[in-house]
Amino acid sequence: MESGVSLLVGTRDAALRPASARGFGVEINAPSGTATVFIAAAGSQITLGNLRDNGQLALTFSRPIDHRSLQVKGRVLSITETDEHQRRVQDRYFSRFAEGLIFTGLRQNLLRRIRYFPSYAVHFRLESMFDQTPGPGAGRTTAVAL
Amino acid sequence: MIRLTDLQRCFAGVIPSIISTCSRDGVPNVTYLSQIFRVDDRRIALSCQFFNKTKQNVAENPFANVEVIDPLSFQTYDLDLRFDHSETSGRLFEKMATRVQAIASHTGMLGVFQLLSADVYEVLAIREVEDLIGPPTTDHEAESEDAPMSLRTELRALSVVTERLRHATDLDGLLSTLLDALRDELGFEHAMLLLPDETGKRLVSLASRGYGQSGIGAEVQIGDGLIGTVAQTQHTLRISNVSASLDYGRAIGRTAQGHGSHAPAAEIPLPGLPDAQSQLAIPLLAHERLAGVLAVESKSPLGFQEWHETFLDVIGHQVAIAIENMMLRAEAEEAQAVTRAALPDGPTREASVLKFCFYRNDDCVFVDDEYLIRNLPGRILWKILRSFVDSSRTDFSNRELRLDPSLGLPPIKDNLESRLILLRKRLEQKCPELRLVPKCRGQFRLETSCTLELTEKDSA
Repeated sequence: MESGVSLLVGTRDAALRPASARGFGVEINAPSGTATVFIAAAGSQITLGNLRDNGQLALTFSRPIDHRSLQVKGRVLSITETDEHQRRVQDRYFSRFAEGLIFTGLRQNLLRRIRYFPSYAVHFRLESMFDQTPGPGAGRTTAVAL
Repeated sequence: MIRLTDLQRCFAGVIPSIISTCSRDGVPNVTYLSQIFRVDDRRIALSCQFFNKTKQNVAENPFANVEVIDPLSFQTYDLDLRFDHSETSGRLFEKMATRVQAIASHTGMLGVFQLLSADVYEVLAIREVEDLIGPPTTDHEAESEDAPMSLRTELRALSVVTERLRHATDLDGLLSTLLDALRDELGFEHAMLLLPDETGKRLVSLASRGYGQSGIGAEVQIGDGLIGTVAQTQHTLRISNVSASLDYGRAIGRTAQGHGSHAPAAEIPLPGLPDAQSQLAIPLLAHERLAGVLAVESKSPLGFQEWHETFLDVIGHQVAIAIENMMLRAEAEEAQAVTRAALPDGPTREASVLKFCFYRNDDCVFVDDEYLIRNLPGRILWKILRSFVDSSRTDFSNRELRLDPSLGLPPIKDNLESRLILLRKRLEQKCPELRLVPKCRGQFRLETSCTLELTEKDSA
C-alpha cells in the first residue's frame, strides 16, 4: 500500500463542506494502527486547515493498473513539516507513482514539475477500512492486513 | 474568472478526477469519479453506476468537492459543488449512459454495470490550485502545452469538408471523399465508415483510412462494443484514455465475479487500431434513421475534444442525408434505365483458373479456398458468377438484382449500393482478377480474364 498507488485525501470543514487533495507518499505503522500521509504544502491550505480544525480524514489508496482501491478513515494525531527521511520516502513514492502514469501518455517532464515538497506529514490513527474497488461491493467494510 | 468551458480537457477522463463528500455526522469520503459532463455554464453532471457512499452522503449533506487536472498542463482545479438533482431519463442521462453502456458492452459486463443516474450538481466555486506545478523549464515546454485550434480554423475546415462532399457523385465517392477530407483538414489519420447491412443487425465497414486493407468488411453487431453501442443508442460517444476506461470496466467485472453475481461475457474486440487511446464515434442520422456510423481513433489519450464531437455531428448529419439521397436517386434512375444483357465483348483469354465455392448454409463465397464474402453480397456475387458461367452474361443492372426474389432484398431501404461497394472492395483485395466495373448509372460489367469454376456445397 505504500508504493505505486494513487493517494486521495478527503477532509471537511466545520460546516461539513468537503475538500479534496492528493497525497504524495505514505508510511504505515501497522502495529500501532497509525499511518502518515504526506500532503504538498502548495495548494493544500484548505485541506490542512480542515485537518487542524477537526482531524477527520479519509484516505483512498488506488492502484492505477487494476483500480483496486481501499479507503481508510482516520483521525489526525499530529501535523508536522516533512523531515529529510520523510522526503526520501516521498521521492521513492513519486518515482513509482510517475512510472505508473506512463501508460496514460502524460509527459514525464510535466510530472517532474510537480512540487510535492515542501510538504506536511499528517500522522493519523486508523479507525476503519473499506473496499473501494469500483463495483457492486464498493463501500463494504473490509479486514485487510496493512 | 475560471469558467466550466475552460475545463473541458479536465473532463475528458485522461487523469481521473476525485470527489470528496461528507456524511451528516462529519465523516469525509473520497473516491475517484468515472465521468464528468458539463451540463451548462454553472452545472455539471456526475455519473452514478452504483449506490455507494458518495450517493448516500450527498443525500444527507448536499455539498461535494471535485478535483480535476488538465492532462496537458497538469493544472489542478478545485470545484465546490452542491447536489441539485438526479436524472434517470432524458437527453443528458442517455448521453452519459451511452458511454457507460459502451464500456460495459466492450468488457463483457453488459447488465452488470449501467448508469443508474446522472447526478446534477451546481458549481458554487472554481479555484485554481496554485503553485503545485512549477514553471516550464524551456520555451519548447511552454509552447507545447496549449495549442488549441482557433475558431477560424475550425470554420474553414468545416467549409472545406462540406465543399468537397458536395462534389461527390456516388456513394463510394462520398464515403472516400469524407474520409480524405477529415484526414486532410483535421488530421484524422484513422477513420472508418460503417453502414448497416441488409439485416439491420450488423454494421459493415465500407471505407476506411489508416488501417491498410483490413479496414474494409470489418463487421460489428449493433449493440456490441463501442461502435455497436453508438449504432444502438444513436448517441455520439467520445472516450479519452480508452485503455484506462476499459480497465475500469474490467475492474468492475472482477469485483462482480468476486461477489458471485456475474460471469463475464467475452470481450468485444475493438475494430481498428490495437493501441487506440481515444475513440470518437458518431451516428449518421437521417431523419432519425441510422444511415451508418463514423468512427475515428487516435493513439493519443486526448485525441479528441468537445469541439471535434460538435464538428463531426454537423458533418455527420450532412453525410447521412447525402447517403440517403444517393441511395434513393440510384433506385429512381435504375428504374428508368434499360436493362440489357450483353454477350461478352470477345472470347475469354487463356488465363488462370479461379475456383469459387458457395456454401448455402450461410451464403458464404470462398475463392481458391479463401474466404471472400458472405450474406447478401455473397448471394449477389453468386448470381452474377452463375449467369456469367452458364450464359456468358457480363452486363448486369442493380434493378434486376432488386427484382430477384432469390436475393431477398428488403422492399425499401435495401442498401444495395453499399452492398455492391463492399463486394467490389472485397474483390479488389482478395480477387483482383475479377472486377465489377460500374458502367452507366445502375449498371455494371463483370470483367475477368480467368476461367471460372463454380461449386456449391451445403456447408463447409
